[in-house]
Amino acid sequence: MIILDLVLRLMIWFLLTSDLSVTNIVIGVAVALILPRNSGRSAPIREWLRTLWKSLLAIPQAYLEAIEIILRPHRYEEITQEHVSSRRTPGLIFLDIFIITFTPKTIVTHYHERGWYDVHWIRRRKPQ
Amino acid sequence: MINGLVQGISTACIAIGLIFWLWGTWPLLGSRSVLFKLHSLSVADTLGSMAIVVGLLLKIPREWPLLLLALIALAIWNTILGYVLAYCSQGDQPYD
Amino acid sequence: MNWILTVMIVALLIPIYEAFQDEDIWQKMLAFSSVASKTSIMVLVVSVLRDDWMVGVVGVLILSVGNASLMLLAQIIKRVNES
Repeated sequence: MIILDLVLRLMIWFLLTSDLSVTNIVIGVAVALILPRNSGRSAPIREWLRTLWKSLLAIPQAYLEAIEIILRPHRYEEITQEHVSSRRTPGLIFLDIFIITFTPKTIVTHYHERGWYDVHWIRRRKPQ
Repeated sequence: MINGLVQGISTACIAIGLIFWLWGTWPLLGSRSVLFKLHSLSVADTLGSMAIVVGLLLKIPREWPLLLLALIALAIWNTILGYVLAYCSQGDQPYD
Repeated sequence: MNWILTVMIVALLIPIYEAFQDEDIWQKMLAFSSVASKTSIMVLVVSVLRDDWMVGVVGVLILSVGNASLMLLAQIIKRVNES
Protein backbone atom coordinates (compact mmCIF):
# COMPACT_ATOMS: atom_id res chain seq x y z
CA MET A 1 0.00 0.00 0.00
CA ILE A 2 2.80 2.35 0.98
CA ILE A 3 4.50 1.43 -2.29
CA LEU A 4 1.52 2.49 -4.42
CA ASP A 5 1.40 5.79 -2.57
CA LEU A 6 5.10 6.39 -3.19
CA VAL A 7 4.83 5.45 -6.86
CA LEU A 8 2.03 7.97 -7.33
CA ARG A 9 4.01 10.79 -5.70
CA LEU A 10 7.19 9.96 -7.58
CA MET A 11 5.31 9.80 -10.86
CA ILE A 12 3.94 13.32 -10.37
CA TRP A 13 7.41 14.55 -9.37
CA PHE A 14 9.17 13.09 -12.41
CA LEU A 15 6.50 14.28 -14.81
CA LEU A 16 6.77 17.75 -13.32
CA THR A 17 10.56 18.01 -13.39
CA SER A 18 11.25 15.64 -16.35
CA ASP A 19 14.80 15.16 -15.11
CA LEU A 20 16.28 11.75 -14.25
CA SER A 21 19.60 12.87 -12.73
CA VAL A 22 20.72 11.30 -9.44
CA THR A 23 20.18 14.50 -7.45
CA ASN A 24 16.64 14.82 -8.70
CA ILE A 25 15.81 11.19 -7.90
CA VAL A 26 17.17 11.63 -4.36
CA ILE A 27 15.15 14.80 -3.82
CA GLY A 28 12.00 13.16 -5.18
CA VAL A 29 12.29 10.05 -3.02
CA ALA A 30 13.10 12.12 0.07
CA VAL A 31 10.12 14.43 -0.41
CA ALA A 32 7.82 11.48 -1.14
CA LEU A 33 8.88 9.85 2.12
CA ILE A 34 8.64 13.01 4.20
CA LEU A 35 5.15 14.08 3.06
CA PRO A 36 2.53 12.99 5.57
CA ARG A 37 0.59 9.84 4.78
CA ASN A 38 -2.97 9.35 5.90
CA SER A 39 -3.10 6.56 8.40
CA GLY A 40 -6.57 5.20 7.78
CA ARG A 41 -7.19 1.61 6.86
CA SER A 42 -6.05 0.77 3.38
CA ALA A 43 -7.63 -1.35 0.69
CA PRO A 44 -5.90 -4.44 -0.72
CA ILE A 45 -3.65 -3.70 -3.64
CA ARG A 46 -5.62 -5.92 -6.01
CA GLU A 47 -8.70 -3.78 -5.43
CA TRP A 48 -6.65 -0.68 -6.24
CA LEU A 49 -5.26 -2.10 -9.45
CA ARG A 50 -8.72 -3.20 -10.54
CA THR A 51 -10.18 0.26 -9.94
CA LEU A 52 -7.25 1.98 -11.69
CA TRP A 53 -7.73 -0.33 -14.67
CA LYS A 54 -11.43 0.54 -14.71
CA SER A 55 -10.61 4.25 -14.75
CA LEU A 56 -8.33 3.70 -17.77
CA LEU A 57 -11.16 1.88 -19.54
CA ALA A 58 -13.44 4.81 -18.73
CA ILE A 59 -11.51 7.06 -21.18
CA PRO A 60 -12.52 5.35 -24.47
CA GLN A 61 -15.99 4.76 -23.04
CA ALA A 62 -16.33 8.46 -22.29
CA TYR A 63 -15.46 9.35 -25.90
CA LEU A 64 -17.96 6.81 -27.21
CA GLU A 65 -20.69 8.26 -25.01
CA ALA A 66 -19.75 11.78 -26.09
CA ILE A 67 -20.11 10.88 -29.76
CA GLU A 68 -23.39 9.13 -28.98
CA ILE A 69 -24.94 12.13 -27.27
CA ILE A 70 -23.70 14.45 -30.02
CA LEU A 71 -25.32 12.34 -32.74
CA ARG A 72 -28.52 11.54 -30.88
CA PRO A 73 -29.73 14.27 -28.54
CA HIS A 74 -30.52 13.09 -25.01
CA ARG A 75 -33.20 15.43 -23.70
CA TYR A 76 -34.51 13.77 -20.58
CA GLU A 77 -33.02 13.69 -17.11
CA GLU A 78 -33.30 11.06 -14.42
CA ILE A 79 -31.81 10.41 -10.98
CA THR A 80 -31.05 6.85 -9.96
CA GLN A 81 -29.34 5.33 -6.98
CA GLU A 82 -26.38 3.08 -7.51
CA HIS A 83 -25.30 0.69 -4.84
CA VAL A 84 -21.65 0.07 -4.01
CA SER A 85 -20.01 -1.98 -1.35
CA SER A 86 -19.96 0.11 1.80
CA ARG A 87 -16.52 -1.05 2.86
CA ARG A 88 -14.64 1.09 0.32
CA THR A 89 -11.78 3.26 1.54
CA PRO A 90 -11.83 7.02 0.80
CA GLY A 91 -9.28 6.65 -2.00
CA LEU A 92 -11.40 4.05 -3.76
CA ILE A 93 -14.56 6.11 -3.28
CA PHE A 94 -12.74 9.02 -4.93
CA LEU A 95 -11.87 6.84 -7.92
CA ASP A 96 -15.43 5.48 -8.12
CA ILE A 97 -16.87 9.00 -8.21
CA PHE A 98 -14.24 9.93 -10.79
CA ILE A 99 -15.17 7.02 -13.08
CA ILE A 100 -18.89 7.74 -12.92
CA THR A 101 -18.61 11.50 -13.35
CA PHE A 102 -15.97 11.28 -16.09
CA THR A 103 -18.35 9.61 -18.53
CA PRO A 104 -20.58 12.35 -19.95
CA LYS A 105 -23.93 10.62 -19.51
CA THR A 106 -23.63 10.22 -15.75
CA ILE A 107 -22.79 12.55 -12.86
CA VAL A 108 -22.65 11.67 -9.18
CA THR A 109 -24.59 14.27 -7.22
CA HIS A 110 -24.40 12.84 -3.74
CA TYR A 111 -22.55 10.14 -1.86
CA HIS A 112 -24.28 8.52 1.09
CA GLU A 113 -22.20 7.06 3.88
CA ARG A 114 -24.13 3.80 3.86
CA GLY A 115 -22.81 2.91 0.46
CA TRP A 116 -24.80 4.33 -2.41
CA TYR A 117 -24.52 7.20 -4.84
CA ASP A 118 -27.19 9.41 -6.35
CA VAL A 119 -26.40 9.35 -10.06
CA HIS A 120 -27.86 11.88 -12.47
CA TRP A 121 -28.42 10.51 -15.99
CA ILE A 122 -29.42 11.99 -19.29
CA ARG A 123 -31.64 9.74 -21.36
CA ARG A 124 -32.86 9.63 -24.94
CA ARG A 125 -36.39 8.59 -24.07
CA LYS A 126 -38.61 9.88 -21.37
CA PRO A 127 -38.05 7.75 -18.27
CA GLN A 128 -41.14 6.04 -16.86
CA MET B 1 5.64 10.45 -44.79
CA ILE B 2 5.34 9.38 -41.15
CA ASN B 3 5.75 13.00 -40.12
CA GLY B 4 2.92 14.13 -42.37
CA LEU B 5 0.68 11.41 -40.96
CA VAL B 6 1.42 12.48 -37.39
CA GLN B 7 0.69 16.11 -38.28
CA GLY B 8 -2.58 15.06 -39.85
CA ILE B 9 -3.66 13.07 -36.79
CA SER B 10 -2.65 15.96 -34.57
CA THR B 11 -4.74 18.46 -36.54
CA ALA B 12 -7.64 15.99 -36.53
CA CYS B 13 -7.43 15.68 -32.72
CA ILE B 14 -7.46 19.46 -32.32
CA ALA B 15 -10.40 19.78 -34.73
CA ILE B 16 -12.38 17.11 -32.84
CA GLY B 17 -11.60 18.93 -29.59
CA LEU B 18 -12.86 22.21 -31.05
CA ILE B 19 -16.08 20.56 -32.27
CA PHE B 20 -16.61 19.13 -28.78
CA TRP B 21 -15.97 22.59 -27.29
CA LEU B 22 -18.52 24.33 -29.49
CA TRP B 23 -21.12 21.58 -29.18
CA GLY B 24 -20.79 21.31 -25.41
CA THR B 25 -20.61 25.02 -24.64
CA TRP B 26 -23.57 26.01 -26.77
CA PRO B 27 -26.24 24.54 -24.37
CA LEU B 28 -24.98 26.94 -21.67
CA LEU B 29 -27.11 29.63 -23.26
CA GLY B 30 -30.31 27.62 -22.96
CA SER B 31 -32.56 27.45 -19.96
CA ARG B 32 -31.94 23.86 -18.89
CA SER B 33 -31.05 22.81 -15.34
CA VAL B 34 -27.51 23.15 -14.00
CA LEU B 35 -27.09 19.37 -14.01
CA PHE B 36 -28.09 19.05 -17.65
CA LYS B 37 -25.59 21.73 -18.64
CA LEU B 38 -22.92 19.95 -16.60
CA HIS B 39 -23.30 16.86 -18.79
CA SER B 40 -22.61 18.81 -21.97
CA LEU B 41 -19.82 20.80 -20.30
CA SER B 42 -18.10 17.57 -19.37
CA VAL B 43 -18.09 16.70 -23.08
CA ALA B 44 -16.67 20.13 -23.93
CA ASP B 45 -14.29 21.02 -21.15
CA THR B 46 -12.96 17.60 -20.19
CA LEU B 47 -13.10 15.44 -23.31
CA GLY B 48 -12.69 18.26 -25.83
CA SER B 49 -9.77 19.80 -23.98
CA MET B 50 -8.13 16.38 -23.59
CA ALA B 51 -8.37 15.85 -27.35
CA ILE B 52 -6.76 19.27 -27.93
CA VAL B 53 -3.90 18.49 -25.53
CA VAL B 54 -3.33 15.12 -27.25
CA GLY B 55 -3.15 17.02 -30.54
CA LEU B 56 -0.54 19.37 -29.06
CA LEU B 57 1.34 16.37 -27.65
CA LEU B 58 1.68 14.95 -31.18
CA LYS B 59 2.97 18.33 -32.40
CA ILE B 60 5.69 18.67 -29.74
CA PRO B 61 6.49 15.14 -28.51
CA ARG B 62 9.69 16.28 -26.77
CA GLU B 63 7.65 17.98 -24.01
CA TRP B 64 5.71 14.80 -23.24
CA PRO B 65 6.25 14.72 -19.45
CA LEU B 66 4.61 18.08 -18.80
CA LEU B 67 1.86 17.57 -21.36
CA LEU B 68 1.06 14.17 -19.85
CA LEU B 69 0.84 15.82 -16.45
CA ALA B 70 -1.45 18.46 -17.95
CA LEU B 71 -3.64 15.71 -19.40
CA ILE B 72 -3.98 13.89 -16.07
CA ALA B 73 -4.54 17.10 -14.12
CA LEU B 74 -7.17 18.23 -16.61
CA ALA B 75 -9.11 14.98 -16.37
CA ILE B 76 -9.07 14.80 -12.60
CA TRP B 77 -9.70 18.47 -11.78
CA ASN B 78 -12.48 19.02 -14.29
CA THR B 79 -14.28 15.83 -13.33
CA ILE B 80 -14.09 16.52 -9.62
CA LEU B 81 -15.13 20.14 -10.15
CA GLY B 82 -18.16 18.78 -12.00
CA TYR B 83 -19.00 16.58 -9.04
CA VAL B 84 -18.50 19.41 -6.53
CA LEU B 85 -20.70 21.78 -8.56
CA ALA B 86 -23.39 19.10 -8.91
CA TYR B 87 -23.27 18.32 -5.20
CA CYS B 88 -23.30 21.97 -4.08
CA SER B 89 -25.98 23.14 -6.47
CA GLN B 90 -28.32 20.37 -5.27
CA GLY B 91 -28.57 22.04 -1.87
CA ASP B 92 -30.01 20.18 1.09
CA GLN B 93 -30.92 16.59 0.60
CA PRO B 94 -34.20 15.85 2.36
CA TYR B 95 -33.28 12.20 2.91
CA ASP B 96 -30.11 10.47 4.10
CA MET C 1 -2.89 27.62 -37.48
CA ASN C 2 -4.56 30.84 -36.40
CA TRP C 3 -7.97 29.35 -37.20
CA ILE C 4 -7.64 27.26 -34.03
CA LEU C 5 -7.38 30.38 -31.90
CA THR C 6 -10.25 32.08 -33.70
CA VAL C 7 -12.57 29.15 -33.05
CA MET C 8 -11.40 29.03 -29.44
CA ILE C 9 -12.19 32.70 -28.88
CA VAL C 10 -15.68 32.16 -30.32
CA ALA C 11 -16.16 29.23 -27.92
CA LEU C 12 -14.87 31.37 -25.06
CA LEU C 13 -17.38 34.14 -25.76
CA ILE C 14 -20.33 31.81 -25.06
CA PRO C 15 -19.66 31.23 -21.33
CA ILE C 16 -18.64 34.88 -20.87
CA TYR C 17 -21.98 36.02 -22.28
CA GLU C 18 -23.81 33.44 -20.16
CA ALA C 19 -22.05 34.63 -16.99
CA PHE C 20 -23.07 38.15 -17.88
CA GLN C 21 -26.76 37.50 -18.57
CA ASP C 22 -27.82 34.76 -16.12
CA GLU C 23 -28.81 35.81 -12.62
CA ASP C 24 -28.72 32.36 -11.03
CA ILE C 25 -25.50 31.90 -9.08
CA TRP C 26 -24.97 28.25 -10.07
CA GLN C 27 -25.36 28.99 -13.75
CA LYS C 28 -22.77 31.73 -13.29
CA MET C 29 -20.39 29.31 -11.52
CA LEU C 30 -20.83 26.83 -14.37
CA ALA C 31 -19.96 29.53 -16.90
CA PHE C 32 -16.89 30.59 -14.91
CA SER C 33 -15.61 27.04 -14.60
CA SER C 34 -15.93 26.74 -18.35
CA VAL C 35 -14.03 30.00 -18.87
CA ALA C 36 -11.27 28.81 -16.52
CA SER C 37 -10.58 25.55 -18.30
CA LYS C 38 -10.91 27.04 -21.77
CA THR C 39 -8.41 29.83 -21.08
CA SER C 40 -5.83 27.45 -19.66
CA ILE C 41 -6.05 25.26 -22.75
CA MET C 42 -5.68 28.43 -24.86
CA VAL C 43 -2.45 29.22 -23.01
CA LEU C 44 -1.07 25.84 -24.08
CA VAL C 45 -2.16 26.33 -27.70
CA VAL C 46 -0.64 29.82 -27.84
CA SER C 47 2.63 28.46 -26.47
CA VAL C 48 2.78 25.86 -29.24
CA LEU C 49 1.86 28.39 -31.94
CA ARG C 50 4.57 30.81 -30.80
CA ASP C 51 6.99 27.95 -30.19
CA ASP C 52 7.74 29.32 -26.74
CA TRP C 53 7.61 26.53 -24.20
CA MET C 54 8.07 28.95 -21.27
CA VAL C 55 4.45 30.00 -21.83
CA GLY C 56 3.52 26.33 -21.98
CA VAL C 57 5.03 25.66 -18.56
CA VAL C 58 2.79 28.37 -17.13
CA GLY C 59 -0.21 26.70 -18.78
CA VAL C 60 0.67 23.32 -17.31
CA LEU C 61 1.08 24.88 -13.86
CA ILE C 62 -2.33 26.56 -14.12
CA LEU C 63 -3.88 23.26 -15.17
CA SER C 64 -2.30 21.31 -12.32
CA VAL C 65 -3.27 23.83 -9.66
CA GLY C 66 -6.60 23.55 -11.36
CA ASN C 67 -9.94 24.86 -10.36
CA ALA C 68 -9.33 24.52 -6.63
CA SER C 69 -10.51 28.07 -6.03
CA LEU C 70 -13.80 27.42 -7.81
CA MET C 71 -14.38 24.32 -5.68
CA LEU C 72 -13.83 26.29 -2.48
CA LEU C 73 -16.10 29.06 -3.75
CA ALA C 74 -18.83 26.51 -4.51
CA GLN C 75 -18.61 25.14 -0.97
CA ILE C 76 -18.78 28.65 0.51
CA ILE C 77 -21.81 29.61 -1.62
CA LYS C 78 -23.53 26.42 -0.48
CA ARG C 79 -22.92 27.27 3.18
CA VAL C 80 -24.08 30.86 2.70
CA ASN C 81 -27.25 29.69 0.99
CA GLU C 82 -28.00 27.27 3.79
CA SER C 83 -27.66 29.73 6.64
